[in-house]
Amino acid sequence: MAIDLIFFVRTLVFPGFLFLLVLVLFFDWFERKVAARFQNRMGPSYAGPFGILQPIADYIKLFSKEDITPKQTNKFLFVVAPILAFSLFVFALFYIPIDGSNVILDSSFEGDLLLVLLLVTLANFGIFLSGWASLNPYSGIGATRILTQFLGYDIPLILLAIGPAFLAKSLSIVSIASSQVTVPFILLIPWSCVLFILVLQAELEKDPFDIPHAETEIVGGYETEYSGRKLAFIKLSEDFQFLIGASLVTVLFLGGFHGPVFIGPAEFWYVFWFIVKTLGVVFILEYVGNVSARLRIDQVVHGNWKLLIPLSILSLALTILVEPLLRSVIG
Amino acid sequence: MLKWARTKSPWLLHFNTGACNGCDIEVVALLTPRYDVERFGIKLEPSPRHADVLVVTGPVTKQCAPRLKMIYEQMPSPKFVIAVGACACSGGIFQDCYNISGRLDEIIPVDVYIPGCPPKPEAIVQGVAKLLGKLKG
Ligand code: SF4
Repeated sequence: MAIDLIFFVRTLVFPGFLFLLVLVLFFDWFERKVAARFQNRMGPSYAGPFGILQPIADYIKLFSKEDITPKQTNKFLFVVAPILAFSLFVFALFYIPIDGSNVILDSSFEGDLLLVLLLVTLANFGIFLSGWASLNPYSGIGATRILTQFLGYDIPLILLAIGPAFLAKSLSIVSIASSQVTVPFILLIPWSCVLFILVLQAELEKDPFDIPHAETEIVGGYETEYSGRKLAFIKLSEDFQFLIGASLVTVLFLGGFHGPVFIGPAEFWYVFWFIVKTLGVVFILEYVGNVSARLRIDQVVHGNWKLLIPLSILSLALTILVEPLLRSVIG
Repeated sequence: MLKWARTKSPWLLHFNTGACNGCDIEVVALLTPRYDVERFGIKLEPSPRHADVLVVTGPVTKQCAPRLKMIYEQMPSPKFVIAVGACACSGGIFQDCYNISGRLDEIIPVDVYIPGCPPKPEAIVQGVAKLLGKLKG
């Protein structure tokens, strides 16, 4: 019974669902604030101190609004797809070690890096289905764009994620993070990290790769027909995806939950360093997004198949070549 | 709490029913660094399904009236309408034109009128604030 209690607390409260939800809302606010500052604006500032409650207000409002299911849509898919995408993202996030271990204790295994990447891909299929089921021309275009972009960029993402796994000689996220106690991988293989962030930008549908919901061309993209609760689920799953992306960079290249200062309880510092590093990654992602303009769909596809895939193969080869030299510094 | 959330996050949909583009420029100016309505949580949304507040500019032309109705019906309730500019409030200088089907409030219910030709961005912000005050009750 006691073990069950720990399990429930860990999955539902900390560092499980509730904690992740708060974290996601906080990141949403941080993202909006950073974007606003880049554009010389204030950003949300009246909902709570510094507008920190803005995402909460948005979601409460969305959940309380009328929930329309248009007549022509595929009803079942239209309702299920956003929830499916959302739950898959949450599940994937459960495998990211935030306080030193996974959300479900001792559930990390050799290969959970691949599982997380797979879950993210599947969840994106959920988002694709949500756009497809809307039977709206704009949603349809948005959905096909997701598929074109996402399937292409998944290949370099996985190739680049293999780099740190190769250095750590393990495919489990926890051991990749803990083999960076002395030197984070970003110092050893910076080329991989830069490319990873660039590819992540495409995975997260941020500028310059935000063609799936290019507002000026195709209204709301795949979410055009959604309203109320279902829109809230779609927006939440986007936010969760953003957190997953940022935390993947953190665990693969920045040493995850390990940090330079440890005084007192280790758990607290694990969480602290994890959040600080992830905020840094979010800042970089936002920076790239804000200084670049949107590409055309053909440019996105060309950039992927002609540029990023060869580059990521090269970077993996380079990693393998220099690996014997780096072996001595890896903890 | 619901009221609080609603007043803190009104998402706008901007619809031009035949304005001369003067009002539209002023509405878009709200998003610029100078006025930055995102401070209040106001966002310009691309799709009527996401929006809470319909911002209508311009006199309603005969061609636009059915479309305006359709867009209004596509919005999930609770929904509000703001009429921006003299044209949307009363027809303005286009009042008696052959192609005008009437004032905005003859077609859909309007919550706030913001007069001016075109109204200043400050006036539009004040109008939105009035609407939010009305929501608070
Ligand atoms: S109120 Fe004036 S500025 Fe606005 S649409 Fe009418 S004529 Fe143009």
